[in-house]
Amino acid sequence: MNSNKFFSVSRFYQLLRNDILLNHKKYLLTIVGAFIMGFIFIRMQMPNYMYTDTTSFKYNSSSYMSLFIMCLVGLGAFVGSGFSELSSKIKTSNYLLMPASTFEKFLSQFVLRALAGSVIFLVIFWIDAHLARIAALRHMEYSNGQLAGPEKYSYIEKFHYSMLLIKSRYPVVTNWRLFEGIGVILIIFSSGMFLFSVKIFFRKLGLIKTGISLVAAIFLIVVLAVGVSYLFYPETKGFNTANINYFLSNGYTNNDIFLYSIAYLAPLFLLPLGYFKLKEKQL
Amino acid sequence: MINIKNLSFHYKKKSPLFNDFSLEVESGRIVGLLGKNGAGKSTLLHLISGLIQPKSGKIKVNGFVPFERNPNYLADIYMVPEEFAFPSISISTYVKAFSPLYPNFDHHKLYDIFSEFELQPSSSLNKLSHGQRKKFLIAFALSTNCKMLVFDEPTNGLDIPSKSQFRKILVSSVTEEQLVIISTHQVKDIDTVIDKVVVIENGSIIYQENIDEITQKLYFDLVPSLTGVEDVLYHEQCPLGQKIIVPATGGNESSIDLELLFNAVINKTI
Repeated sequence: MNSNKFFSVSRFYQLLRNDILLNHKKYLLTIVGAFIMGFIFIRMQMPNYMYTDTTSFKYNSSSYMSLFIMCLVGLGAFVGSGFSELSSKIKTSNYLLMPASTFEKFLSQFVLRALAGSVIFLVIFWIDAHLARIAALRHMEYSNGQLAGPEKYSYIEKFHYSMLLIKSRYPVVTNWRLFEGIGVILIIFSSGMFLFSVKIFFRKLGLIKTGISLVAAIFLIVVLAVGVSYLFYPETKGFNTANINYFLSNGYTNNDIFLYSIAYLAPLFLLPLGYFKLKEKQL
Repeated sequence: MINIKNLSFHYKKKSPLFNDFSLEVESGRIVGLLGKNGAGKSTLLHLISGLIQPKSGKIKVNGFVPFERNPNYLADIYMVPEEFAFPSISISTYVKAFSPLYPNFDHHKLYDIFSEFELQPSSSLNKLSHGQRKKFLIAFALSTNCKMLVFDEPTNGLDIPSKSQFRKILVSSVTEEQLVIISTHQVKDIDTVIDKVVVIENGSIIYQENIDEITQKLYFDLVPSLTGVEDVLYHEQCPLGQKIIVPATGGNESSIDLELLFNAVINKTI
């Protein structure tokens, strides 16, 4: 088997170079736009006043977590804009005839959109969160109009990524256990992959059609669950599922295992599915 | 070399376009692929390029199965489509981005053709006229030195001087190792460059002949009237009289009127 048929470092490098040469302005504008929009958005979410009569509210890890999840939508949109060459018949023809293997084409989009996009997103979010905090604290006042004192610095906590993982009220990884950690990362990864392959499946209105197909897929799973419930629990009524929740010996519930199984297995299907769909793509 | 055996193809929910279609063409030729609208010319080019997959039968081009899209195959085929789209970049950036993907790319040849076509590398591709962009694409295609060059309506949108430049550049640039397929309706634009004619209709080859064989068999002439002219295979009225095709006799050879030949083939008189 000639490995050159599937992957060649020099060809892959040329493919990346080709993409950057063609799209560098678009990428730069996206980064600058994301940086500015991110800053404005995060700043708008941060408080302008602090109340002297209460110490209960703090802008902490939970607040940052909500912000982070909202900003992930932006990253999703960027990842979903991959394979833009497949948006029209003419461009598709050019793209499919580019001298590189399907694997190299798939990997180059993955590296540029999913990997580089995620890294840049994390950096931008970190910078924006710090800048927005500085900007918010600079003019922070008490609710009575007086300029806030030094206690304002603890009113809006300093952002760091570990706070999303271990300190939050609804932390991503409750006990920092490997199984859960990997599961959550894979859920985000799977969602990204779902968006990443959008254009391979749908030439036009990819994100909308993906949204519809996602809703349809969830609906089908629910229908399946209802069907299975009726089969094994005849007392089930209406459009309900029999949710029998029980703890396993390792401390997880059966529902935890079910959700993490989906999280673990989804990327195994979504990535190859996108790859094979691209491989079989026709004009 | 193209080797197509018993090819069948149809688009989704459409009647078969090719059924048991076979074709063999050797390298070192410039083939004119002719046919009426909807005859299947562009589909055949897409099948040869690997953009679509045959329903059955075999296609091999230079030893590769096109639809497998082996990168080594893709590096040796270049297609100039009838319609094209470019990113908003300059000619030089496009060359910088795409030429390294073609191992045999010849930059000297490219800039020679640019000067023939009066193209400036600094020009923005999307600010050029359709004809200029087509000239750029033709220049790029020829400079890739791919073993297989596919042109779909290459002269559409070219002005009259550019058409003759295209013919001149094509003939001087193509080597014995290359195979060029030109699909066109503008048969007059290519009649002096091709050395094989393939006419397809309803997904079948209804005529294929090398140019030298055609000139040995057929004689193309212009006569004031048909009176006294024997064995006319096909004739068409023109302002100066009648354009005719008669059997070539006594070693007489004429230059081919491809349009007349095409019409004769379509009207099944040859």
